[in-house]
Amino acid sequence: MHRLSLNSQPLLSFLLSLMAATILLVALPTLSAAQKTALHLDGTPADPFLAASGKPVVLIFVRTDCPISNRYAPLIQRISSEYGAKAALWLVYPSRTDSAEKIRQHELDYGYKLPALRDPQHALVTQAQVQVTPEAAVFDANHHLLYHGRIDDLYQDFGRARPAPTTHELNDAIQAALSGKMPPPSTPGVGCYIADLE
Amino acid sequence: MIPSGRTIVTCLLGLSSATVAAYAGHHGANMWSPMPAAQPVTFNRDIAPLAFRYCAPCHRPGEAGPFPLLTYAHAKARARQIAAVTSKRFMPPWLPEAQELRFADELRLSDEQIALIQRWVEQGAVEGVPTDLPPAPQFVPGWQLGRPDEILEAEKPYTLPASGSDIYWNFIFRTPVDRTRWLKAIEIRPGDKPVVHHANILVDRNQSARRLEPEPRGGFPGMELKIESETFDPDSHFLFWKPGTVSRPEPEGMSLRLDKDTDLVLNMHLQPSGKPEKIQPSLGLYFTDKAATLFPLLLQLENDRRLDIPPGEKRFVVTDEFTLPVDVDLLGIYPHTHYLGKDLQALASLPDGSAKTLIHITQWDLNWQAVYRYANPVFLPKGTTISMRYVYDNSSDNPANPNDPPRRVVAGNRSSDEMAHLWLQVLPHAPPDTAFDLRMLLQEAMARHNLEKNPADFEAHYNLAAMLQTRGAQDEAIKHFELAVRLRPQDATANNGLGASLLAAGRIGEAMPYLYAALRAQPDNFDAHYNLANALASQDRFFEAIEHYRAAVRLHPEDANAEANLGSALAETGKLPEAKLHFQRALRIDPNHKLARENLERISRDPKDLQQ
Repeated sequence: MHRLSLNSQPLLSFLLSLMAATILLVALPTLSAAQKTALHLDGTPADPFLAASGKPVVLIFVRTDCPISNRYAPLIQRISSEYGAKAALWLVYPSRTDSAEKIRQHELDYGYKLPALRDPQHALVTQAQVQVTPEAAVFDANHHLLYHGRIDDLYQDFGRARPAPTTHELNDAIQAALSGKMPPPSTPGVGCYIADLE
Repeated sequence: MIPSGRTIVTCLLGLSSATVAAYAGHHGANMWSPMPAAQPVTFNRDIAPLAFRYCAPCHRPGEAGPFPLLTYAHAKARARQIAAVTSKRFMPPWLPEAQELRFADELRLSDEQIALIQRWVEQGAVEGVPTDLPPAPQFVPGWQLGRPDEILEAEKPYTLPASGSDIYWNFIFRTPVDRTRWLKAIEIRPGDKPVVHHANILVDRNQSARRLEPEPRGGFPGMELKIESETFDPDSHFLFWKPGTVSRPEPEGMSLRLDKDTDLVLNMHLQPSGKPEKIQPSLGLYFTDKAATLFPLLLQLENDRRLDIPPGEKRFVVTDEFTLPVDVDLLGIYPHTHYLGKDLQALASLPDGSAKTLIHITQWDLNWQAVYRYANPVFLPKGTTISMRYVYDNSSDNPANPNDPPRRVVAGNRSSDEMAHLWLQVLPHAPPDTAFDLRMLLQEAMARHNLEKNPADFEAHYNLAAMLQTRGAQDEAIKHFELAVRLRPQDATANNGLGASLLAAGRIGEAMPYLYAALRAQPDNFDAHYNLANALASQDRFFEAIEHYRAAVRLHPEDANAEANLGSALAETGKLPEAKLHFQRALRIDPNHKLARENLERISRDPKDLQQ
């Protein structure tokens, strides 16, 4: 599936989400789409949109063992501190196997203070249309997907990091969600493939 | 009397020695043969041999790889990643293109091997049957060369910040030897490996790097270092570590000399990981009784003066070439630029008209810079011209460009400056009866070449003069020392060098003003005190000479020549008991000191003898 910028077309976004779910159904025939849900670290079902009515929602996908998403930890934490009051920011771990304990330890090691979710069934991965860690998805106050993709352009490719990023897509997308301005075009990230986790 | 003070300033950057190597696996990649198209690619049969040989040496616990790749489960959980990074040749990290002259321990996948990995992933990353799986590779945990004779640990750890740009940090290791020892190897254990991109050791015989530490024993920042070395004593070994390096002993006959009071400076390139990391590297020393019998030399081609790269320039070319004055074996090669380097090439044009590519890197990446050793020594006859051709990309298309937007970039030591260096480790072919050190000939040719490129280069004049002085060519040494002093009238070592050569040429009166100038510039310059004292003594100005010998002895209490000459000057002025004391001290430092022994015997035999 190729990526589209869907900011002004919520209907298309809806259709695409459905399509992705269908593909997943084929891949994992034992699970039905209705049962898929993200989990809090205590194991209870989590819906990051429910608790954030009228607020933008930001999902940032990371792995405990992805060197590229780990390198972004200080920036992710900085963005979370800056926008935490105006938007609901979540760290999402799409690993199927990482325990809550391992995730808590990872948050501690990397100084994360934002809340974390486990997404072993890739319910949020599908909804956010992300493909690698680290990528982020920004939903506006009506919870329409406004932006998904890289955090910034620090990495041009594997092993091709700039000394410093020259674009700041996640920051700009959150600003857009808060102000109603145009979000940046969705741009794929460089990192660890989430599909490898199946 | 021996003139003293040949300080050769060398800019040894990245000189390290070592062994860029890959795990020489039991399961050679060559055993792979193309599968019939119908047969599915499996991990156990097709991919495991590649993973064990090319990935696992780093991708295993305790090593530099950020995750292990030792089992099917490991590979399956990264399958698309593996397909992507191998197809882009980002992994395994190996910069040189395939070429006729092979390198030792090449970590290069063939196009067929890369295609096989892609097929494996496209077909669903199948495991295959257990009987196909080769035995897992056996790795030695910890020190790769076995327990070192001596382990040096950095005295204070360095804490790498969680974020920010790359850091270059230097640790100084005080060596524990109380006399000259020989090493068959130094193994570098860089500490927390996933953040260490490379590390290399510089030998600092003068402890000159200590002055760069903001607080004693705390280490210091800096990408490129300049280390002073006394006398003609080139450090001819690459001591280098990068992820994937397997430590190896130095080749037979090429042991490393380690003197008392020598510091080893470990220069490290570190990349923040997202959390603060404590780095505390250690070095393992492996001693041998065998002194070196073969003396390689590091030749440097460079053309930093040509580096003036306009912003936006995509193909800025810098070249240099050097013709060998003697036959050599080329053992290793180390190309070096910073972040704008793109295409780095070195060629050898032989006298018979043939040419050999020594190395060609088309996608330079400083993060994976390395020393490359040839699988077999490459014979290059006298008259061979070695040339380097480096292309730089200072446009914003180069993601590594440290400037956004691009700016004019010139040569310098900071990571945002540039360099155009090529180091070659060569072993001169010496006929068995050669008394003359052929390295000197090479080094002198190198220095003359540097002067052709940089006629106003202080260091080039100084280094050439120092070498000429060492081999006794004082007239020409004086000429180049004079040019050096003209370029830097306040430089103590250059003034001292000129004074010393004039002294050695018997031009004592002319020598003295330069020796006084050296002391004005640097009152604690041992060499200048010692040489001036010798000059004064040879004019029978013993009382003045004694003052400078005393200063010299205070500065270097372990110098037998200074003690012996102080004794002689004291004896000349009739201070026999004190003279005796200093002869005895000289003999304690060097029991074979001839002058001290003879003079002591004369005093003991007939004290009056000396007063006449």
